Order: sequence, then structure tokens, then C-alpha cells
Amino acid sequence: MNQIEAVEPGVYSVLVDGRSYEARVEQSDGCLVVFIDGHRFEVEIQDPRRWSRHPGKPGIAGRLHVTAPMPGKIVRLLVAEGDTVEAGQGLLVVEAMKMQNEMKAPKAGRVVTLTARAGATVAAGEVLVAIE
Amino acid sequence: MFRKVLIANRGEIAVRVIRTLREMQIASVAVFSDADRASLHVRMADEAEWVGPSPSTESYLRIDRILDAARRHGAEAIHPGYGFLSENADFAAACEAAGIVFIGPPAESIRRMGSKTAARQMAVAAGAPVVPGAHEALSGPADARAFAGQFGYPLLLKAVAGGGGKGMRRVNSDAELDAAFRDASSEAERSFKNPDLYVEKLIERPRHIEIQLLGDRYGHMVHFGERECSIQRRHQKIVEECPSPLVAARPGLREAMGEAAIRVARSAGYCNAGTVEFLVDARGDFYFLEMNTRLQVEHPITELVTGHDLVRLQLEVAAGEKLRLRQEDIAWRGSAIECRIYAEDPDNNFFPSPGKITRLALPHGPGVRLDGCVYEGWTVPIDYDPLLAKLAVWNATRETAIARMLRALREYEVAGIHTNIAFFRQILEDEEFRAGRLHTQFVDEFPERRKPFDPPPELESIAALVAAFHAKRSAPRAETAQPQRSRWLDIGRDEALR
Repeated sequence: MNQIEAVEPGVYSVLVDGRSYEARVEQSDGCLVVFIDGHRFEVEIQDPRRWSRHPGKPGIAGRLHVTAPMPGKIVRLLVAEGDTVEAGQGLLVVEAMKMQNEMKAPKAGRVVTLTARAGATVAAGEVLVAIE
Repeated sequence: MFRKVLIANRGEIAVRVIRTLREMQIASVAVFSDADRASLHVRMADEAEWVGPSPSTESYLRIDRILDAARRHGAEAIHPGYGFLSENADFAAACEAAGIVFIGPPAESIRRMGSKTAARQMAVAAGAPVVPGAHEALSGPADARAFAGQFGYPLLLKAVAGGGGKGMRRVNSDAELDAAFRDASSEAERSFKNPDLYVEKLIERPRHIEIQLLGDRYGHMVHFGERECSIQRRHQKIVEECPSPLVAARPGLREAMGEAAIRVARSAGYCNAGTVEFLVDARGDFYFLEMNTRLQVEHPITELVTGHDLVRLQLEVAAGEKLRLRQEDIAWRGSAIECRIYAEDPDNNFFPSPGKITRLALPHGPGVRLDGCVYEGWTVPIDYDPLLAKLAVWNATRETAIARMLRALREYEVAGIHTNIAFFRQILEDEEFRAGRLHTQFVDEFPERRKPFDPPPELESIAALVAAFHAKRSAPRAETAQPQRSRWLDIGRDEALR
């Protein structure tokens, strides 16, 4: 009997110690996001074989892109390139659907690229900031 | 009865109306903008007509295009839904002039209720209680003191020329009055170049409770009881229930509010479906707020508890039939709750979250009603209110209805966009909510006591397990070159050729 059964694309039924769980997996920027009963888990898969194959190269997992969640306009920038930011720190303010939304750093790190410009119109999915 | 009806709306309410039309064997005509070509209401309707580009001002709000579509398709009547043109008196009048029945009240009733001050005067004339206030300028603190003598504290001083909270002061007691008056007046002078103030009784942490009405063209009108809609974010209702916990605890309150609502509606020459909204204080005293001259978003909970299809009744009275229901025929059974499922992020000030729905698992089972407009693979457009669906449940008691809603919310999964589903699970677990202590600032105060939505500890390892399994399963097998064709590809090709 399979402990994990793929029941729908990206959806798995899991039986552990007689308990039943259902999990959904989504591919995200450099990691997998698993949803179970409304809870969200980010999982980074580390493949030891890849480490040995590319020695010394910085892993892409170390860099995270902040993208525009929907079409909108950049109202103002709160950081500059090279700045060190804390996780959750505001990076810039985007206006969409008549609401202003502060976009926050998904993790602590350094702002390596800042493609966003104040006043610019951005499309959904456009990369605004890269943090490493 | 009509043979064909056009729905001048989109989204879940258009789908809702189409369902009743189909049950009544009436043909439906949908209208749609550029953004809605693939929307569910277009897919479900018998006929459909494009009415313009995505912005609603160029499509769903274009009276000329909607009427053209109705004429072209031979629709005899138009259901306006809610929002868009539903409370536009000019639209109702234009329908009438075009010989098309507007499924709603007469244009004149819409016009009268459209002005807040006129509606308030009408309510006063009809003998319905309004929030006590003197809406003329006070000559000084003595006038406010006299008002307090009659209606008590706390009261609210407001600038006659005001807005945005400027020149406004809460006064809790007689001792505070003189200073508050002086401050508010000088602030009003500075802000609006007009120091005049008026006074209103302050209703503390009020509940929002409304009465559903329906009347025919011949002066007969009944009420379908109340809906409590105190749970609001950004002044928009997100959880509604019937009965109201307050009304359920106060015998006679439903009847008193129902009668007051009917009096106000009658004085406006009202017919068809409408809702009178009241503010209700902790003692059960209620005050007329406004009248919504259309079908409400939250009408399903009234339908669940009374067993009547309000859209069907709307169609019948609009077609000129007499309303056969008498007030004593309407009974309330059990308890219903509705949650408005929005594409929005409750952790980010309820910011809208449109986008593509990559996966959708819907709640089913006993006592669950879902009025939705989305399907897997559909992209929630950025152009309109991001309401995805209304999840309503019914059960014998409020307690079991809450349990049922929590169960249904757990079955409900929407992926690809943010939704407020998990937020509702927290609201419905909240002790204040479960105790029925509701008021319109509930959601504003909720974050302070909101418990983190933490997962049970074992879920983390389950997540890791699934992620590893998924990664292994979906990874291209680069490390061990596989020259042979995948058996799956062969099966796929065979299937395609069959």
C-alpha cells in the first residue's frame, strides 16, 4: 500500500500512522510550496548530487525575486540597490485597483538589483527587486 | 410570465439569476465585457451579448448598450442584480421608456431612497426611528447640553460643512462638553471656514441588522425577517447570518423592525425586493440607516431560513402577478450563515488578489450552498469586485451552523490567488463571534486577539515528505540518461489516436 498517492495533478493523499492528510504542491521561486489544510509550507529541496556537480557556484535558491502581484503603478521606493534588508521590511509601494500596497522583503538579505522605478507602470509578474 | 430575461450584471449574481430563470423555463441573456468573455455567466446563459471594453463605465454601466442588447435579443425584462445599474433611477426609467420591464422598484422609489437626507426625512415621516440628531447648526454648547438632556451621552459633535472626521468630537459627559464644543468649532473654522456644529447621538459599537422586504404592484408587502451583517471590513459586509443573535434573544424585535421597514418602504411607493438597513444598539433600540432598492448580496441566507426563492418572487411580481404570500405564511427555520469568499489577502489589509485559479476544490455535503462564478483555470479579472463566491450553510441551530461552516471552509481550496478562506476559519473560531457579541468594528478589533493560524506540529514533516516525493517524481531524470521512450508517452499517443 502506498503511503503517498498522487490523486490529482499536484495533489497527494498521505497516510501516516493511520492518519489521512491531503497536500497540494506548487512550484515557486526556487522552492516548493506545500499546502495542507489551509496551512502553507515552503520547502527547499537540496539535491546532494547537484552540490557536487556545480562546486562553488552560488545557488539560485539564495536569490529571491519580488514580483508585481498584479498590474499597477510604482508609487515610491523604500530601499536602494545595495541596501541590507530584514525579512518583512517594506521595499516599495505599488498602487493597483485604487489601493496602495507595500511589498515586503520575503527574506533578509541584500538588495542586489532594483529594476523598479517610481512612477513606472508594471505588469503582473514583472520582477521588481532581487534579494540575495 | 416573461419568456426571456436579460441580466445586466456579471459574476456570481448573474449566475444566481440564470439558475432561477432556468428553473422557471425562462430564456436568459447574459451581457459581457472584454474581460468576461470566458466568465461563467456567459457560459451558463442561453444567449449572450458583448456590451463593451473591460472598464464597467464602458460596458456594464452603459445604459444604451444594455438596452440595445435587450432589444436585439427580444428580452422582455431586465434583472439588474446588485451594484452596477441596479440602483440607477435613470436606468429604471430608460427601461420603462423602452417598453422593457425593470425587475425592481419604480424609478421614483429608487430616486427617493437614493438621497440619504431625503430617505431620512421619509423614515421620520413614516414613524421609523432614526439616529437622534439635530441637523441644523447649534447656537452654542447650551443647545448640545439640551440635546444630551433628552437623548443622553455619549454624543457626537459634527461640523455642518464637514467631512473626513474634521471638526468632529465625541463627548462622553457633561463635563467634557464645553471644551469639546470649543475645539470642534475652531477645527471646523480652520478646516472649512465655517465654525457651525450639529449634534448626533453616538451609537456605540452598533450592530448592522437589515430587513428583507418584498411587495407587489398592488400595495401588498411582506417582510422576510432580518439578516445581521455586523462583520464588515472596509465598510463592506463579509459574514452575514439569519437569525441575528441579538434578534433571536429579543422576542418581538423582528416584528417591530419588520413593521418599521414596511412603513418606510410604503411611503416611498415601493414594490419588488428591497432591504431596509438599521443600526441597532446593545439594548435592541434600532435606527433607520438607509434602504437598498435591489436584491442584496447576502439574500441566500434569507432563502435558506425561510425556504423562499427571492429571485423567483422578484420575477413574479415584476411580471404583474399578485404576491400570494401573507405575512403569517413566512416562517423562520434554523440558522444560516454566509461568508463572502474574496480574492484578497487578509494579511495585507485585504488587498485584492486577482489572478489565475490554478486549483479549485469546492465544499459540498449537507446544508451547503455555494453561489459562485469561478472555475479552475479561470483568471479573476482585475477590473471588478473580486468576489469569487458566497458560501452559505444552514443548520438547525446557530452553533451547528457555525460548525458546518467551519467544515465547509476546510473543504474549500482555491489555489493560485490569495483568498480570505483561512481568515473566516479564525473568525468563526473566535469566542466573541461564537457568543454572538457582534458589532460593526468587530473586524477592526479582531487582529488584537487573533490567534496565529499555526499548523499542528506534525504537518511540517508531512509537507517535507510530500515535497520530496513530488520533486523526485517530477524531476527530469538527467542523472541517469534514459534513452528509451517513456511508456507514458506511448499511452498518451494511443489515447489521442483512439
